[in-house]
Amino acid sequence: MSKINTLEDLNKAAKRGLESIIPSKTKVMVGMATSGIASGAQEVYNALAEEIKKRKLDIILSKTGAMGMDCIEPLVDVLQPNKPRLAYSKVTAKKVPEIIDQIVKGAVNGNKPAYRMDEEEFICLNENKPYLKGPVPKDLEGIPKIGDVSFYKKQMKLATRNCGMINYESIDEYIAKGGYFSLLKALTKMQPDEIIDEVIASGLRGRGGGGFQAGIKWQTCRRAHGDIKYVICNGDEGDPGAYMDRSVMEGDPHSVIEGMIIGAYAIGSSQGFIYVRNEYPLAVANLQRALDQAREYGLLGKNILNTGFDFDLKIGKGAGAFVCGESTALMTSLEGKAGEPRAKYIHTVEHGLWDRPSNLNNVETWANVPAIISRGAKWFSSIGCKNNSGTKVFCLVGKINNIGMVEVPMGIPLKEIIYEIGGGIPGGKKYKAVQTGGPSGGCLPDSLIDISVDFDSLWDAGSMMGSGGMIVMDETTCMVDIARYFIDFLEFESCGKCVPCREGVYRMNEILNDICDGKGKAGDVELLESMSQGIVDGALCALGSTAANPVLSTLKYFRDEYVAHVRDKKCPAGVCKALIRFSVSDEKCTGCGVCLKKCPTECISGEKKKTHVIDQTKCIKCGVCKESCKFDAIIVE
Amino acid sequence: MTMVNITMNGQKISAPAGSNILQAAKQVGIDIPTLCDHPALVSIGACRICVVEVTGQRTLITACTFPITEGMEIQTESPQVVKARKLILDLLFSERNHYCPMCQMSGDCELQNLGYRYGIDHWIYPTYTKGFPVDASRKYFFMDHNRCVLCGRCERACGDLVANHTLGLRNRGASSMIHADANVPFGESTCISCGSCLQVCPTGALCDKRSAYMGRNIQTEHIKSTCNQCSIGCGMEIVTRGGNVLRIESDWDAEINAGLLCKNGRFDPLYEDRTRVTQPMIRIGGKLRPSSWDETLKTIAEKISGTNAKEIGVLTSSNSTNEALYLLGQLFCKELKATNVGLLNSAAPKLFDKPQGSLADIVKSDVILVAGTDPAKDQPVASFFVKHAVDRGAKLILVGGKDNGLAPFATMILADIGKAVEVAERAGSPVVLYGAGITEKGASALKKLQGKAAFVAIEPGVNTRAAVAFGFNNGFKASAAKVLYALLGEQGLESADVLKDVDKKAFVVVQASYVSPITEKADVVLPMAIWSERAGSLTNTEGRVQKVSKAVEPAGEAKSDWEIISLLANKLGKKLATSLDEISARATQELK
Repeated sequence: MSKINTLEDLNKAAKRGLESIIPSKTKVMVGMATSGIASGAQEVYNALAEEIKKRKLDIILSKTGAMGMDCIEPLVDVLQPNKPRLAYSKVTAKKVPEIIDQIVKGAVNGNKPAYRMDEEEFICLNENKPYLKGPVPKDLEGIPKIGDVSFYKKQMKLATRNCGMINYESIDEYIAKGGYFSLLKALTKMQPDEIIDEVIASGLRGRGGGGFQAGIKWQTCRRAHGDIKYVICNGDEGDPGAYMDRSVMEGDPHSVIEGMIIGAYAIGSSQGFIYVRNEYPLAVANLQRALDQAREYGLLGKNILNTGFDFDLKIGKGAGAFVCGESTALMTSLEGKAGEPRAKYIHTVEHGLWDRPSNLNNVETWANVPAIISRGAKWFSSIGCKNNSGTKVFCLVGKINNIGMVEVPMGIPLKEIIYEIGGGIPGGKKYKAVQTGGPSGGCLPDSLIDISVDFDSLWDAGSMMGSGGMIVMDETTCMVDIARYFIDFLEFESCGKCVPCREGVYRMNEILNDICDGKGKAGDVELLESMSQGIVDGALCALGSTAANPVLSTLKYFRDEYVAHVRDKKCPAGVCKALIRFSVSDEKCTGCGVCLKKCPTECISGEKKKTHVIDQTKCIKCGVCKESCKFDAIIVE
Repeated sequence: MTMVNITMNGQKISAPAGSNILQAAKQVGIDIPTLCDHPALVSIGACRICVVEVTGQRTLITACTFPITEGMEIQTESPQVVKARKLILDLLFSERNHYCPMCQMSGDCELQNLGYRYGIDHWIYPTYTKGFPVDASRKYFFMDHNRCVLCGRCERACGDLVANHTLGLRNRGASSMIHADANVPFGESTCISCGSCLQVCPTGALCDKRSAYMGRNIQTEHIKSTCNQCSIGCGMEIVTRGGNVLRIESDWDAEINAGLLCKNGRFDPLYEDRTRVTQPMIRIGGKLRPSSWDETLKTIAEKISGTNAKEIGVLTSSNSTNEALYLLGQLFCKELKATNVGLLNSAAPKLFDKPQGSLADIVKSDVILVAGTDPAKDQPVASFFVKHAVDRGAKLILVGGKDNGLAPFATMILADIGKAVEVAERAGSPVVLYGAGITEKGASALKKLQGKAAFVAIEPGVNTRAAVAFGFNNGFKASAAKVLYALLGEQGLESADVLKDVDKKAFVVVQASYVSPITEKADVVLPMAIWSERAGSLTNTEGRVQKVSKAVEPAGEAKSDWEIISLLANKLGKKLATSLDEISARATQELK
C-alpha cells in the first residue's frame, strides 16, 4: 500500500473501506473478540469457512469485535445486498448449515436472528448509511430492530463506536468510518493549543478512574519542560469483571492509535507507548497489526500525512500485575523495572517515564479523542450530564440477565442500567447491590438505585467510577464474603512497597476470613473500620489508598450483615459455609430422593416418600441438594 | 538561595526551596520519625512512618518525599498522624518476628525506638504466624529475614550507592522478600561483601557476625579514622568497646567515599589471623630472644653507626604513615646519607607535574578509560565509582584483558591503548584511571588526552604516593646492603624472597607487626602497632593527606611506626622532631 499524504488518498482508502463494510455481495461477520471466542466463536468461524468452501459460495467471511451483548454470543451477523443486517445469536457450529441455508434461500425461518439493523451509524462522519433502499422485506419485519432491543435502547456508542461493526483487521474499514480524518484535520487545520482547547472544552475526563480533565492534563504536559515527551496509553485493565478496554483494543485498535497521535501532536511528543497486559493476547495482536498498518500508510513514523510531524508507537507488554494500572507503577514497568508505584508529588506530566514529561490516558479516553476532534467539543459536551460529558463504557456482570459491555451517556440513572439495559436480576431474585469501580470501588445498595451514574455522584456515594466494572449482586450474595473476595484480590495484588497496603490489607483479609469462618471476635468490625481509615490516610498509591473501600462501603451500607456474622454467627445470605446449616423441611419434602442421589458425600438419607435427613457431620455445605430440590425443601440457616 | 516560608506545628520557619518537609523539619529540630528513609539514600516514601498532615491535602503525605511550597501548613504529630503511625507500627511489629529481647540490635533498632516513642506495648494482630529463613552464607554478616521490615534500604544501598545491584525484592505484597540475584544464597551471589547494606539496615535483619551481641551503640566508642587497606583512603569509623575493636563502619561524612567501604576495608582487617610480634627481639646464638626496647635500639644504633652509608639499605612498605616515611627519609637519607632505599611495591608512573583530576571526576564523566590497574580487585571503592558512572550511562573502556574485575562492565576491552585513547578523545568529559601496570609507550599515549581528560592515578599499595614523594622508589639493591632496615609493618609477604639477594652476613632489622618468614630470618625484630593502634596520617592516591587515629592500645610492647624511628634517631644522636604534631606538620609540609 502506498502512503497516505493527502485528503484525496484518505478518501480513496475510505472508498475501499466502505465497499468492504457494505459490500455488493453477501458478507458474514463473526464476533471474534475474546468474549466471542470464549463462547465458541472460533469453531463457528471455522464451520462457516468450511461450509462456504464446501458449497462454493461467493460470501465474504470477516471478523469483527464485540457488540457488547456477551450473553448472546457467539454472534454471526449476515449482511446481504439491499437487506437489513441480521444478527444470529448463540450460534454453534451445528447451526451454521442452517444459517447458510437461510442466506442461500434469502428467507428467514427456523433459527431466527436476535435483531436486525437497517442502517449503520458513522459517528465521526455524523451520518447514517442505510443497508437497504426501500422498505424492510415483509418476512424480516418481525425481527426486532436493534434500537428496540432493551439492551441497546438506552446505549450510545462513542468509544466503542466501531466495535462489532468493522473488521478489526482492516484499516480501510476504520478509515471508511471516518477514521484518521480527525488526524488529518488536527495536523493540517489545527494548532496544538487549539486541539488542547477543544479537548478541554469537550470536558472529556479520564476514563481510567480518576476522572481528571484530559485536556488540562495535556496542557500541563505540553507546558512541562523537556525536549522529549511521551504519550502513554494505559491498557493494563485489571479489575475483575471489567473488559471494556480489552474490547476496544481488540475491536477497534485504530481509534486508540489515532487518539494517541492527535494527543502526541497536541502535547509535542514524538514517542508513545501502549501498555497492554500480556493476558490480552488478541488485543496485543490486533494493536500490533494496526500499528503496522498505520506505519505502512504513513500515519505513524516520520512525516505523518506529509505534515512533517514525526511520531511512533510501541507496545509495552505488562506481566499482569494489577498495580501496573497505576500510572507511576506502569511507567516503572515500562522502564523495565519491577512495577512499583512511586510517590506522585511531582506529577508524571512533568516527571514521568524516564523522568520525562509523560501524558498517560486510558484506552477509552484515547478512543474518544478522534470523535471529539471530528464532531467538535460542543457536540461531545452536549452528551452526558453536568461536568461529566460524553459516555462511559461499563461491563455489566454478576447476577444480571443481560451480561455484557454497555456504553451509556453519563448521568444515566443506575436503575436504567440494571433493569432496562441489564434486564434485571435472574430468577426473580431481589437486587442487593452493585459494585462499581473495581476491587477498590464500593458497593451501592438498593437505596441508591436512582443514583446518577457519573464521576462525582459515585464518589460522593463512597464508590467510584473506576474504569467501568459493574458487578451486580442479588440477595444470595453475602456482603462480608464480597468484601473478603475483593480484599483477598487486593492483598494478592499489593506490590508490597508501602506498609499500610502490604500488611494492612493482609491483616484485613485475615480478619475477614475469620469473620466468614465464624471466628469473628467482638471488636473485629471496629478494628476493620479503624484500620481502613489508617490505610486510606497512609498508603502510597491509589491502589493502596482505595484498598479499604470494599470494607468501608459494605460496612457503610451492610453493617448488620457483619454484626450477624460476628455476634450471631449467622450468614444472612447463606453463603459463608462455617455459619450455615442445611436441613430438610418436614413440610415441603416429598421424599423424591433427588437430593439423596446428588449429594456428593452421601450424607442424605431417607426412605421414598418420607422426609429425608441430612447428616450434619458429613455435610460439606456444597448446596447441591438445595439446587436440585424442586420443592424448595432444603432450608439454609 | 531562595527560601520558602512554611508553618510547622504552628512554628513559622523558612527553609531552602527544593527541600522536602523532613529536611525542613530537621533544620529547626522538629523530629519527624523515619524508617525507610536514610540520609544517604534516595527517598522512596515506602514505610509511611514519616507521614504528616498538610493543610489542603486529601490524605496524609510522607515528609521524606514531599517538597515544601510557600505558605504550607504542616502538623507533624496531630492525632490523625499519630494514629496512622501507630497502625503502621502495629502492622510492622506483627509482620515478622520482632521480639526485641532476643535481637542483637535491641537498643539500637530504629523500629524498636519507634515502638517506644509511640507506646506500642502489645500485639494487636496475630504474630509469629510463619517463620522466615536466616541466611548466614556470607562470611562476615548474616541476614535474618524474620527481622526484616522490607524498607528497601539495603536494596537501594546495593544498587544506588555501590552500583552492584545484587539485592532486590522478590514476590510482592506480604510475601515480598529481600533476595540476592535470582534468589540464590547471599554467599553464592554476586555480593561483594562491601557491607553497605549492613550499615543501612534499621533493624537486626542484617547483622555483623563478629560483633553481634558485643555491645549496644551507647556502650561503644566511634573513632573516625582513615582506611589503610589501599590508596583510596576512605573515611571510616573504628567502633571499640573496652579497648577492643568491635567492627569498622564507614563514615557518611567522609569526602572521598561518602559512606562507602569495601570488604577489604570493612571486614578483612578484623579477620587477621597472623601472629603478632609483641616484643623487641634480638638474635642471640642463632635464636631470636626477647629483649628490651632500650637494649634492642642500642644494638641497632651501634650496628648502623659502624656501617658505611653506602652499605646501609632501607626498605619500606607503603603501609607506613606519612610520619614514619618522613622520619625514615630524614634519618637514613638526610642524616645518615644512605642512598640504597626502596619500596616494597611498585608505583604508578608520574605523567604530569600537577594533578589533572580527582576521584570525584569519575561519576561525572561520560567515558572512563582504565589502564594498568584493576580497581575492582585492589581498590574496590574506586570500582564502585566506575560502576556508578556506568549505571548513569558512561562508557567504560578497559585496556587489557578479560581477567580485569571491571571487564563485565566494560563497553569495550582493547589491547591497544592507542585505540582506547582515540575513543576517549571523542568523549565530552573523559576520565583516565591508570596504575602501575602501564608501559612507557602507554603512558605517552595517554598524555595525548592532556587538557581533555581528567587523570587519576590509582596507586598500588597504600601510602605509595607519600613513599614516592619521600624518595623511596629509587631501585633498591638488596645485595649492596650490609645493614638492612626493613619497615615491613603489616604488609603480608608470603615468603622471604625479598631477602634472597641480601648478603647472608648482612645485619637485618625488621620493624613488623606480624610474625612472617622475614621476621624469622631477621637479626632484630621491632614490634609495630597496627592500623587501629597508631595515629598519624596517610596520603591517598590523589595526594590528599588524611588523619588516622589511634583507637586502641598497641598489642604488647608494640609502638607506632614513626615512634620507633624517632626513638632510633634519638639513640643515634640525630635530632629529629619528636612530637607527632610536629612530625605531621613537617611531613605534610614536605608532601606539598
